[in-house]
Formats: sequence, structure tokens, C-alpha cells
Amino acid sequence: MARLWAMAYIWPTFELQLTPYPYLLKRSQPFVSESVLIEKLSRRDQQAFHWLYDQYSPALFGVIRKIVHDDEQARDLLQDSFIKIWNNLDQYDASKGRLFTWLLNVARNTAIDSLRSAKASSRPNPANAIHTDSENVYIVDSQHKTDPVPIEHIGVKDMVDQLRPERKMLIDLVYFSGYTHEEAAEVLNLPLGTVKTRIRSALQELKQFFSR
Amino acid sequence: MDVNEYIASGTLELYALGAATDQERREVECLSSIYPEIRQELNRLTEAMENYALTYSAEPPADLKEQIMAKLSFGDAQPEAIVKPMPVSRPTYNFTWVAAAAIGLIILSFALFLVNQLRESQQVQATLRSTNNSLQDEILQIRDRQSGLDAALALLKKPGTRIIPVVGNDKAPGSRLAVYWNATSKEVAIEVNGLPKLAADQQYQLWSLVGDKPVDAGVFENTPSTGQIQRLNRAIGAADAFAVTIERRGGSPTPTLTALVAVGPV
Repeated sequence: MARLWAMAYIWPTFELQLTPYPYLLKRSQPFVSESVLIEKLSRRDQQAFHWLYDQYSPALFGVIRKIVHDDEQARDLLQDSFIKIWNNLDQYDASKGRLFTWLLNVARNTAIDSLRSAKASSRPNPANAIHTDSENVYIVDSQHKTDPVPIEHIGVKDMVDQLRPERKMLIDLVYFSGYTHEEAAEVLNLPLGTVKTRIRSALQELKQFFSR
Repeated sequence: MDVNEYIASGTLELYALGAATDQERREVECLSSIYPEIRQELNRLTEAMENYALTYSAEPPADLKEQIMAKLSFGDAQPEAIVKPMPVSRPTYNFTWVAAAAIGLIILSFALFLVNQLRESQQVQATLRSTNNSLQDEILQIRDRQSGLDAALALLKKPGTRIIPVVGNDKAPGSRLAVYWNATSKEVAIEVNGLPKLAADQQYQLWSLVGDKPVDAGVFENTPSTGQIQRLNRAIGAADAFAVTIERRGGSPTPTLTALVAVGPV
């Protein structure tokens, strides 16, 4: 009888094998496929969280930091992002796109939203007058700004920097600052059609670059 | 619908950049599920954006993971380890055990009680048996003495029985014996009084002296109590005197004169 009771506790334990995500130029094949990970995530499996965090947190943190330009704030926003991701996993639809894209969008939107709400709350501020100036400074700055980047990314970074500056700037403005293409056209003082064409060219160039 | 024209329109790029309007987004998701070419192009573009985002990768602070995990709720970390509580919906099962245990206890305590009782009665029995034995012994002794007394009394009652005092010499000072002798029936008995204690292999022996010739009149015990008369199993028809000597146990055919302790003339 006592033996039966003990057996309930000595049950085989299942360990998920984790591999640290290597930050490589080409997308490395993860040890655990996304479908297996998603299945485990849907059960809110703790091991799956470790895997998710270890694999994606550097990318999400980098994007958030790129958006807010503040490590302390980026830290809080990464935390917010993971809480949102964890609580809204059910909303992810694998048929609409890959998990990484979805994760990036959650992090990006979280960071951009926080920037916007900060802007909105400072609107009645008299300092509003210089607001556009600082924004312009940022846009100009972003053309020359080089963020600190891990050593292993330098080669990739150099190649990305080979993109034409006006194209890269456009991508950054839309992707990292959350501008619509209309807003981008307005800020850059360009016709809307030109902006759309440039965005398309920029992404095609990126696509070619990464599929090499 | 011209798929290539749609791909060239730039909407997919806006979608990949996250800059598409809600309407454009629904449109892209719908069309990409219908047209594999659109799906393929969209995948390449989003992959390109993923890779672009990866170029900004930076390791977050090391302690952040713990902080985030503290704010999340997890499902069962090991869903394979299903630990079910033991079913409690079987009270009869438990009751059986309790009842069995109770009955076992009762039987055990009753057995202990019985063992105790048995031990006590055994002790009482042993005491009774020893008392009984000692009583039996006493009765036997009394009966022996009674028969001796009866015989002595019968001897004394017979006409012609004489009482001859036999006095101890310097080897048995102060001892006074009495010999009862009936010359007609040739019976003889002795009453011991104050003889010294003998070794275990020695015994007193009575002799009748006819002239100078000693005749064996039997051995007797040195009884400590007075008034006990011992019949001697010898026929003594004639005697001028009686004498007592110390001999080996069982008696001797001739008296050891050096061991003479008492003499009494008839």
C-alpha cells in the first residue's frame, strides 16, 4: 500500500533540452521547433518560458532599446512585453506568421506606445515648441548614430550599413519610430508615392541581402 | 486578380514593417492564405525584417529574467507528473482498517490479561503445593510418632514390663536413658535423653549383658526430643544389665568397649 503511494511521487520527470540562441547572420534552426515550443507555451510550461526568453530576449531588448534609446526604460518595457506575450499567447495565430515576427511586433508596439503616451502627456507642456526640433534632430541623428552592437554583429552591421542611407533611415523611421508612411512622407518632406517606392526598394534590398 | 501586381504594390512591405493600416492588414492576411506566391513573398519580407531586427540584439540585464518570471503565472511545469490525491471516497475501506485494528487490540489485551491470570494461578498453585507437601510430611511424622507411642504404651501396659534407668558415664555426662524391658514377651524399648550428637556414619547400639556376655539389643536413633520411646526389634529373654555403645551405622555383632557411654544394672 505504502509502495503505491510512493510511486505517485517518483514519476519520470521531463527535461526540455535547451540550446542558447547563437546570434548568427543566417537564421539558425532552433533545437526545438516552433510548433513544439508553441504547444508547450500554450500550457504555460515553465521550461518553455526559459527557452522563449533565452532565445528571443536579446532580439526584443535590442529592438526596444533602439526605439526608446534608454536602457533603464528598455528594461521595464522588455518586462512589460514578456508579460503581454505570456498573457496573450492565445492570440498568436501560427497561420498568419511566424512566432518571432509576432514577438517582435508585441515588443515594438509596447515600446512605441510608451513613447507616444509620453509624448501625449507632455503635449500641454510649453516645451512642446521645441518638440519638432528635437524630433528633427533625432531623424538627422539616426542617420549617423551608431548604436553599440555586440562584436559578432559587426560584420552584419557593416553590410546593413551598405544600404543606401535614405532607405535605411526610412525603414528605421517606420519600424522603430512607428511612423505611418504618410507621417514619414510629411516629416521627410517627400511625396507619398516616393516614400512607398523607397520603402519597397529598401525591403527588397534587405530581402536580397539576407537571402544571400 | 493579378498576384504579381499586388506583390509589386508595396503593401506587403508596409505589412512587414508593421506600418499597414487595419484594412491593409486584413487584406494581406486574407490574400496570403489564398495565394501561395503572396504567402512566400510575405514570408521572405518578414524574415528579412526579423534578421534586420536581430542585428540590434543586445543582452538584457541578467537579473531581469528572474524579475519577469516572478510576475508570471505558470502551468504545471511537468504535466506528465500527475500526482493524484488518494481517493477518499471509500469510507468503508478505512472503517474496515479501523475496526480490524480495534479488534486486534482487544484480542491482544485480552490475551495479555489471560497470561497474567495464568501466571498468578500458577504461583498460587505452587504455594499450595509446597504447603500441602509440608503438611503431608508433618502428618507422616506425627503418624510415625503415634505408632511408636502406641507400641510403647502397649509395651508399658503389659504386665511384667520393667523400667531400667541407664546413666551415662564421663563420655556422655548428664545423659539419662530409660530401657523398657518385658522378660516374658522378650520385648525391649528405649527412651533417649541427653545423649551426645553423633557423626553421620555412627549410631548408638543397646546391649543386654547376661553375666559378662553382651547380646545385641538393636541400634537406635539419638532423638533430640524427650519422651519418645523407640521399639527395638530384638527378642531379649534375659539380662543382668543394659549398656550403650557408639558403633558404625547399622550396628556391630560385638560391642566396642572403648566406646561404652552408659550402663544400667537390672
